[in-house]
Amino acid sequence: MPGSRRSNAPTTVARPGSSYSLLDLTAVKGQVDAMVAAQVDAPALFEERLVQAVDLLVEWGQPDRWQQLQQMIQKARVSWLFADFCGPFCEGIDAPPRPQHLSVAATDGSQIFPDRHEISPCYLLNIGYVLLHYGSGERALISSRPQLYWQDQDLYQEWGGRRTGVSRDVVGFRRSLLELTELAELAAASQAEGHPTVALTDGTLIMWSLEGRAPDFRDDCLGQIRGAFDLLAERRIPVAGYISRPGGSDLVNALRVAMCPMTVTQCDQCPGLQSAGEDLPVVRPCDPLEGISDGVLLRRLLQPGQRSAVFGSTSQILSDYGAHHIHFFYVHVGKEVARVEIPAYVAEDQQLLDRVHACVIDQAAKGQGYPVSLAEAHERAVVRGADREAFYRYLEDMFVRHDIRARVSLKGLRKRSAGI
Amino acid sequence: MNQPLGTRSLDSFRDPIRRASVDVSIVVDEGAGTSAHVGEVIESSTAQLVAESVRLNGAPAFGQFVRVETEPLPILGVVHNTRTQSLEANRRPSAYGKSEEELRLEQPQIFELLRTHFDVFVLGYLDGTHPVLAYPPQPARIHSFVHVCSTEQTRALTATEQLLRSLLEAPGLPTDELLLATLSHALDAREPALRQAYVLRTGKELSRLLRDDYDRLSALVGRLKDRMNSKDSQ
Repeated sequence: MPGSRRSNAPTTVARPGSSYSLLDLTAVKGQVDAMVAAQVDAPALFEERLVQAVDLLVEWGQPDRWQQLQQMIQKARVSWLFADFCGPFCEGIDAPPRPQHLSVAATDGSQIFPDRHEISPCYLLNIGYVLLHYGSGERALISSRPQLYWQDQDLYQEWGGRRTGVSRDVVGFRRSLLELTELAELAAASQAEGHPTVALTDGTLIMWSLEGRAPDFRDDCLGQIRGAFDLLAERRIPVAGYISRPGGSDLVNALRVAMCPMTVTQCDQCPGLQSAGEDLPVVRPCDPLEGISDGVLLRRLLQPGQRSAVFGSTSQILSDYGAHHIHFFYVHVGKEVARVEIPAYVAEDQQLLDRVHACVIDQAAKGQGYPVSLAEAHERAVVRGADREAFYRYLEDMFVRHDIRARVSLKGLRKRSAGI
Repeated sequence: MNQPLGTRSLDSFRDPIRRASVDVSIVVDEGAGTSAHVGEVIESSTAQLVAESVRLNGAPAFGQFVRVETEPLPILGVVHNTRTQSLEANRRPSAYGKSEEELRLEQPQIFELLRTHFDVFVLGYLDGTHPVLAYPPQPARIHSFVHVCSTEQTRALTATEQLLRSLLEAPGLPTDELLLATLSHALDAREPALRQAYVLRTGKELSRLLRDDYDRLSALVGRLKDRMNSKDSQ
């Protein structure tokens, strides 16, 4: 077989008179057809349930009702995530105009994960930076910075008294943290030069996956998160995490309690369980809300440009966020409803909240539905398959040139040249 | 990245190497003969090279003579094509329906994602101050700086008899357009009193070189005359 071939490279091999693909599409076809057939009838039924959900939202979100629901939720003995109400939530709120002069800072990151089948277990984080100045004609800052991690303290860590090699999810955490701390730095530098700045990051600000991690690792990460928020709060720079097509259902979960016939909601004693027999399926009173996410629900309530009320998140991990409890709102950016997460100092400051709202609407309009600053930051950060290949080949060349003994694992070697 | 939080400057976030030199501000025409470079070589061969313009939309004019500072000898060439396009192959610009001024205020990222490139046809090289119209011994090195030729250099270059022949024989170039444009730059580099004589000499040489193609020659001479007249009336 001519040349070497690796798993990330295109896997089609040119052969006269035939084409060759690793995924057998014919075999998947039957399964795809079955999946589609099962979903054809769903929309009509879903529509009915969705209308019901909107009615519930409007009813319980009224100024004289929301506190009652709040109390019911506080008493409920269930373990789902709830939207914590901060006021009535039955109406959309119009976007204020964007300040004429505004700068938007954004970061995004990507990585080359450590690969023990490669010649070195090092890894790389690449952060994309974007700073766009609006209304002044000033030149945009668009850049990226790769950082290679190869020293012992980068690759091996002691958490909870155990020394382990760095794993993919630890690299993922490092990346998320770096995105946030670098965003804080970029926004602070921008504001220090006299630009009123909003900081945007892609995805959630709630690092819920830190739950269940070794306490010292968790504390280290949370310390950095708090540090970044402290800096931004001190400089009064609003920061927001933007989540496109949000899958969360914190608000819908709250409505489940509203639908529940029990005085104190307790799912393990659900009346639906008792009425179910051997042949009868379990039908819970809150089943009509099944499968509805907050985003889908609020698309019916909000007009383009409007945001929902601000809610508090009840994620466990936030108890370690100090003063920076994360809140969120949903916003109709024109083509979709997105979720925007903000720390407490933004949620409680009407001016900063308005700035985030106006900025997000404007950014999405400029980026055809998705914030232009985040899209550009992603473009800067992304490390594609070909880049990864080039990186490892360069590494290999340098190892060879300097006579460093380097070995690719047998599996790695086999991937490069899959003989017949 | 080990500084205390919040003490970094904006400059520390800019790309240290890549694209640091490209100026995307609105171009003000500074005229020829400035000493600063106007481009940087990004593709190079013996006969042709491609340069990235220092300024967006700020490439040297069509037909302008340029000098590439490279080893072993500076290379001379003429700009025969300029294009402005997306920096990334998979991203195409699309229409916004806004003026450039509006775009600068509200879509500032656009200007960071576009680059102006210009193609240079290699005419020869510079031996001391003397232009030699023959292929250089080595092509320009990648990342060499491209300068607009000074008035003296343009004058010396356009005084050589080989220039017209080189241009006429260049494969795949818009030769006639290029002849007229280079003539215009040649005249700009001369005192008004000397221009008439230069045009006459060029005309004679053209009729010798194009004696087998009367139609082309007469069209060229006709356009040459028009060019002269419009220059005189300016």
